[in-house]
Amino acid sequence: MTKTTTKSPFSLSRRQVLAAGAATALTMPFYARRGFAADTINVGVIQPLSGANAQFGINSRNGIQLVADEINAAGGIQSMGGAKINLIISDATSNPTQAATVAQRMMSQDGVCAVLGAFASSLTLAISEVTERRGVPLLTMSFSDQVTGRGFRNIFQVVSKASQLGSATITHTLDLARKAGDEITKIAIMYEDTAYGTSQAGGLRAAAEANGIEVVMDEAYPLGITDVSPLINQLRRTQAQAVFPVSYLNDSLLIIRNMRQQGINLPTIGGAAGYIIPDFRNGLGELADDVLSISPAAYDQAPEFTERFRERFGYFMVHEAQEHAACMGVLASALEKAGNADPRQLREVIAAETFDEGWATVMSGGKIKFDETGLNIHAVPMMVQWRGDELVTVAPAEYAKAEAVWHRL
Amino acid sequence: MTRAETLSIALPALVVLALIIAPLGLDPYGYTLRILCLMLLFCAMGQAWNIVGGLANQISLGHAAYFGIGAYSSTILFGSFGLSPLIGVFVGMALAALFALVLSLPTLRLKGHYFALATLAAGEVARVVANSWTSLTGGPVGISVPYRPDAGFWALQFQTVLPNYYLFLGAMVLVSLVFWRVQTSAFGYRLRAIKENETAAEVIGVNTYRVKLHASLLSAVLTAMLGTLYAQFQFFFDPDTIFGVATISVKMALIVILGGAGRLYGPWIGAAVIIPLEEMANSYLGNSIAGLSQFAYGVLLIVVILLNPRGLISLFESLRDRLKRRQRA
Repeated sequence: MTKTTTKSPFSLSRRQVLAAGAATALTMPFYARRGFAADTINVGVIQPLSGANAQFGINSRNGIQLVADEINAAGGIQSMGGAKINLIISDATSNPTQAATVAQRMMSQDGVCAVLGAFASSLTLAISEVTERRGVPLLTMSFSDQVTGRGFRNIFQVVSKASQLGSATITHTLDLARKAGDEITKIAIMYEDTAYGTSQAGGLRAAAEANGIEVVMDEAYPLGITDVSPLINQLRRTQAQAVFPVSYLNDSLLIIRNMRQQGINLPTIGGAAGYIIPDFRNGLGELADDVLSISPAAYDQAPEFTERFRERFGYFMVHEAQEHAACMGVLASALEKAGNADPRQLREVIAAETFDEGWATVMSGGKIKFDETGLNIHAVPMMVQWRGDELVTVAPAEYAKAEAVWHRL
Repeated sequence: MTRAETLSIALPALVVLALIIAPLGLDPYGYTLRILCLMLLFCAMGQAWNIVGGLANQISLGHAAYFGIGAYSSTILFGSFGLSPLIGVFVGMALAALFALVLSLPTLRLKGHYFALATLAAGEVARVVANSWTSLTGGPVGISVPYRPDAGFWALQFQTVLPNYYLFLGAMVLVSLVFWRVQTSAFGYRLRAIKENETAAEVIGVNTYRVKLHASLLSAVLTAMLGTLYAQFQFFFDPDTIFGVATISVKMALIVILGGAGRLYGPWIGAAVIIPLEEMANSYLGNSIAGLSQFAYGVLLIVVILLNPRGLISLFESLRDRLKRRQRA
């Protein structure tokens, strides 16, 4: 204390000046932000734009941005006198508390009519607790079973649930193998020990059990693993006929490269995420060929729409972008039908209608209809396979665009 | 009563009074109220940490373990058995005390950064257990407090944020009162003796182990209580958040150290600065260049700590001293 008291009295006021300056600088955008015209419709977009999931969050944002820009360029929402969609985009970071705060901010300050987001299930679940209590619709492509499993009225999931994805992965794999003359009885699962990896692996395990298949290897590994050779050595010692790795990008590259280097050419079925983005091919080159993966949506199902994404952003429309675009498509149609942006009326329209126009058609079956829990009843998981730089749908049969390549043992 | 004493009672009373009135003009669902709620919660958490970390200078980086135990206990009991969080909170407090007891046996004999590292590891252990014990905690996917919009107070759930606000305010005042009682008692003097010089404290007859143990238990129990309140406010959490090093453990310590460690108003000032700062950084920068917000927040914190290594409270004290000198002159 004696130290500070002997200081010049100016030192304190200098700090105050600095503080006041900083405060002014910080509050400027706040006032700038308030000046929106009345004929815009604010839509909240919450995505993980920084942190571990940033790439997926950015892809998602791109998908939504594309749809919103197209609608605005075509004259906005007709039934509301050509009102324009104004996206309020914000970073959820990777912290659910922050995600919920962001949602609260959008509803209070920006008066958003609906929220789209937020890729990671933990973020979506946290946001939904806020939107539900306020009666604002939340459209999501997070596929955790919890999303629509809590009896919420204001949440809408455009994709299949994790458990459905798990069982589709197994049944499609069995079908593809059977077509090639293989009967699968033993499989290997390896997954990163995160929320995504564990829940996805749980779905696979349950589906394997239901189909009477033995899981001969069931290994979790820490996120950010640098040496996968022990895992691959273990895999080599098992009698597995197919391997199901679940991971984000970096681990997926390591696993596939290490397997191929050791000459293991087992059919490999990835668990979405890292296995179906352009970087997978960029990182692996030809080694990526013929790798299979489950995907909640596939861009080759609606090329007339998804090619517009490629034109604008320079890479194929990854599934999270496509599903978020579908969310925006549903919302645009709902706004058109409701004729106003009242969240409660929008909720009723979204819950009641079947959406089969515009971007809502990029999901399987070309339409979206939500059941009473908010789950899209037309959603069907796709099995895709790498062919050069592209992903091709190979199952289920009615959606397949090409025959699957199956490596026999 | 001297003027200084009157002021030291009147000032916090005024702050609390302002906090009681503050939300009345605000949107009861609103964003500002939510930020105020988080501010009060983190202030209370910081104050609970302050008992051990501030008074005795035992820098714990594992308080998230107690926080998470509190949150999980009440949520699991409510979800599985329909037991009200009003009862669950006490179960959580008891379990946290037990965990603190088990943890204290080996760690309290450690000094300085060894103690910090050991507590850091304990928090991580709790996170790993919650991630792995899927049948109990729901695993890494997280757990939701069952939604009972009409159950009201018994379920400790409300449509608006306003009741949560007053719960947090009450908790903050309660924890601050506990801290103040400890600080001004003989127990508090013993803790400060440990902070100054543990060997010297032992020489003059302080049972340092027992004093530290009691302080740890008290701190753990209060933290667990706040964990339950958090769960009933956020309604969803996962192991990575609730047992998070950066999101909980370090933040509790940071709030106290920034405000003024070992001081009653340290966490008040710390929370009042950190929570809005973090939120403003996200609000203004989270849209344009994501990630910059975290960076800006970090830089601002570093600047503040460099300017006031003894905590922001020293800023107020130097202001007060200057006024005094001017009066005398």
